[in-house]
Amino acid sequence: MAMQRTHALSFKILAECSTTKARASLMKLPHATVDTPVFMPVGTQGTLKGLVPDQLRELDCRIILGNTYHLGHRPGPELLEKAGGLHEFMQWDRALLTDSGGFQMVSLLKLAEITEEGVKFQSPHDSSEMMLTPEHSIHIQNKIGADIIMQLDDVVHSCVTGPRVEEAMYRTIRWLDRCMKAHGRPHDQNLFPIVQGGLYPELRKKCAEELTKRDVPGFAIGGLSGGESKDEFWKIVNISTDYLPKEKPRYLMGVGFAVDLVVCVALGCDMFDCVFPTRTARFGNALTPTGTLILHRPEFAEDFQPIEKGCPCSTCKNYTRAYLHGIVENEPVSCSLLTIHNVAYQLRLMRAMHQSIVEDAFPEFIQDFFDKLYPSADYPQWAIDALASVNVHLKKS
Amino acid sequence: MRFSLRSVSHCGCRVGTLSCTRAVNDGENKEVETPLCTLYTKKGSAPYLSVDMLKRIEKLPHIANMHLSSLADYTEALNKFQHGVGQFTALQDFLVYISVHDTGIEIPSGYNTKAGTAVWNKAGKKLIEPQQFVKCQEAFRPTFYQALSDSDTDKNSGKKRAMKAVDRTLDFLDTILELHKKSERLRDVGVFGSVEGGFHEEARMRSARETAARNVDGFVIEGFYAQNEKNKQIDVEEIKDLCNKVFKILPEEKPRLMHAVWSPDQVVMALELGIDVFDSCYPWLVTERGGALVFSFQYHNNSENEREARSTDGFEISLKDKSMFEDFGAPVPGCSCYTCQNFTRSYIHHLLNTSELLAPVLLMIHNFHHYFEFFESLRSSLKTDQFLKLKTLILEQRPSQEPPK
Repeated sequence: MAMQRTHALSFKILAECSTTKARASLMKLPHATVDTPVFMPVGTQGTLKGLVPDQLRELDCRIILGNTYHLGHRPGPELLEKAGGLHEFMQWDRALLTDSGGFQMVSLLKLAEITEEGVKFQSPHDSSEMMLTPEHSIHIQNKIGADIIMQLDDVVHSCVTGPRVEEAMYRTIRWLDRCMKAHGRPHDQNLFPIVQGGLYPELRKKCAEELTKRDVPGFAIGGLSGGESKDEFWKIVNISTDYLPKEKPRYLMGVGFAVDLVVCVALGCDMFDCVFPTRTARFGNALTPTGTLILHRPEFAEDFQPIEKGCPCSTCKNYTRAYLHGIVENEPVSCSLLTIHNVAYQLRLMRAMHQSIVEDAFPEFIQDFFDKLYPSADYPQWAIDALASVNVHLKKS
Repeated sequence: MRFSLRSVSHCGCRVGTLSCTRAVNDGENKEVETPLCTLYTKKGSAPYLSVDMLKRIEKLPHIANMHLSSLADYTEALNKFQHGVGQFTALQDFLVYISVHDTGIEIPSGYNTKAGTAVWNKAGKKLIEPQQFVKCQEAFRPTFYQALSDSDTDKNSGKKRAMKAVDRTLDFLDTILELHKKSERLRDVGVFGSVEGGFHEEARMRSARETAARNVDGFVIEGFYAQNEKNKQIDVEEIKDLCNKVFKILPEEKPRLMHAVWSPDQVVMALELGIDVFDSCYPWLVTERGGALVFSFQYHNNSENEREARSTDGFEISLKDKSMFEDFGAPVPGCSCYTCQNFTRSYIHHLLNTSELLAPVLLMIHNFHHYFEFFESLRSSLKTDQFLKLKTLILEQRPSQEPPK
C-alpha cells in the first residue's frame, strides 16, 4: 500500500442521485473550487480561442484545459517557468488541467513509436529523434503548473484489438508509478492516473483495480471517444466507474457532445473535456437545448431572435441570429461571439445537472433534456440502453 | 445635422462641433467635437471585438463608420428588422456614418458604370445604382451617409476618366438627393457629397463647385488613390495644392471628411489642410501585421531626455519580433489600456507565433485605445494653441523605413 500523501485536492460529494450513479460534488483545487459534474473548455495553446480570461470568469468557468504537447513546443517549458507558470502567463487565476502530451503525440505525429522507455518521435522542427518519457512529461507539467496533471499513458486507439491492448494497459500502470516518482509538486499539483484497457471489460477492471491501489487524488478514464461504437463506449464507461472508488473524482477524457455528457453523468462521471463546443463555434455553429444552429443557412437571414432565448451570455444579450448569419465564416469576431455562447451553453448544462442531482430530480432532468433535443422522441438507442442500465427509462411524452 | 466651425487656427486647423440627431429610437441630439476619427468596423462590428470587448476601451469615438460594401448583404434583413443598423450590430450607443467603400481593402479598378458603382466584399462585386442605394440607406437608417460616388481615379488617371468620375458622382448625387427628400425614413439623416477629380485641377474644381451648390450636409474628399495598391498610405504633400484650391470653394461651415490610411504624421498635416473627420482604419492595419502603436503624443513632455529615451523607430513596434519572446513587460509600458494592463509582450508574442485569435483581439484593443487617445490630444492641443508642439513631436517619430507588411 502506497504511503498516504496529502493531496492538493479535496472532493466532497454533496448529493447522490437515488436512481442513477450520478453525483453532485464540490472539488477544491489550489486555484479554484469547482462544482461537479463539470465541463472543462479546452484552451490548447494557453488561450481559449479569442476569449480573454475575464470573459470566462463572467461565464463562471472555474477550470480549463491546456495541452502539454502544444505548450511544450511553443512557448516551451523553460519560458513558462520564467513567466511563473501558465496561470501567470495567460492571466488565468482559476484552475487549470494539463494532459500528458502523449495522446497528441501519437495522433499528430507521423513517426511516433511507443517503447517501454517512452514515446519516441521525430521532432517537428528538425526531424531529430526525441523521446517523451513519463518523467519528462511530468517535469514539463510541473513547469506549466496546472492544478491537475495527467500521467503519461500508453494510449491505444479504441478500435485496436488483440494483445497490444493488454500490453498498453500494463505499461500504463508501470508508467503511472514512474510518473508518481518523478512528480516534483504533489503538494500543489494533482496527478491523475488514466484507466486504459480498450474495449475489454476484464482489462478495464484489472486496470482500475491496480490504479486504485495507488494513492492518487482522482482518476481519469481514457482511450475512449475515438472511433468505437456508442454501444461499446457506454458499457466501458459504466464498467470503469463501477470499479473506481466513489470518494474520488472520475474524469472522462474527450467527452463531448451534450447527449454524451448527460448519459455519462448518469453513469457516474464527474469531469469532462472536449474541443467540440469551441471548435464547432469556429465553424459557425451554435449549440442550443433544441439542437445545433448552423448559422450560415438561409433560414437564419431574417431570424431576429438571439441564439437561445433566456441565455445570459453576452452574445445572446446583444446579437441576433440574423446578424450572426451574415458574419459567420467571414468575420473573425464571429468566432469569439459563438465561442462565448457555446461555452456558456456547456457550463449551464452542467450547472443544471448539478442542481437537479442536489434536488434528487436528475431523472426528470434527463427526460426533459431528451424531450427538448428529440421532440419526436427518436432518442438514440445507445442512450436509451445506457440510461436503462442505471434505471432511467426514457418515455415518449 | 449641423456643423459649427468654432475656430480656425493660424496653421489652418479647424475646431468645430458636429450636431447630429440619432435618426432611430430616441431622436436624441448628440454634439461631437471635431477634429475626430470614426470607429472603423468590419461588416458592422469593430474588427475582432464583440461589443463587450469594445466597451473595455475608454474614449471610444462617437461615430461608427460602417460600409455600404459589406452591409449591402443585410439590406433585406434590415428592412424587416426596422430598427436600423446601429441596433442590429449592437452599436446602438454610436452615431452611424455609412461610407461607400471599406478603406482597408483592395478595390479593383475599372468596374464602375454610368448606371452605378461597384462595391466589393468577401463574396465579390455588387453593382449598386442610386435607387438601390437609397433603399439600402432607408434600411440602414444611419445618422448620415456618403452619397454613392465614382472614386475610381488616381494620379495616373487620364482627364477623361477624371471627368467621368466627377460627372457620374454628381449625377448619382442629384438622383439620391431627390429620392432622399421624398423619403420619410431618411428625414433626419444627413447626406455627404463627394468631391472627385483625380489629380486634374479642372475636374476637381468642377466637382467642388458643383457639389457645393447641392444641398449636402458635408463633403467627402476622395478620388486621389484608387485603392488598387494594397494599403497605400496617403501622402498629404502630394494633394495639398489641389485640396487648398478645393477648400477655397467649399463652404467653410460644412465638415470635410477624408478616408485614408491615416498614419499620425499624415493626420497632423491633413489637419492643417482643413480636414475635420478621419477614419481609424490605420490601427486595424497595424494590428494585422502584429504591431502595437507606441508613438508619443504627450507634447508637454517632449524634452531632449524624452527624445533620447524613445528607442523605437517609427510609430509602432512589432510583437512578432524575436526579442519579445522573453519580455515580460507590458506591450507598451505606461499604457493604461486593457491589454497593456493585463498581458505581457511575451504572451502576445506567443499568441502571434501560434496564430491564435486572441492576438489580434488584444492588439486591436491597444491600437484603438492609443489612436483614440491621440485624437483626444490633438483636440486638446488645438484648444490650448499647442498644436505645433504636437505636430513637431509626431513628425520627429516618423519611421526611417516602411513597416513590414
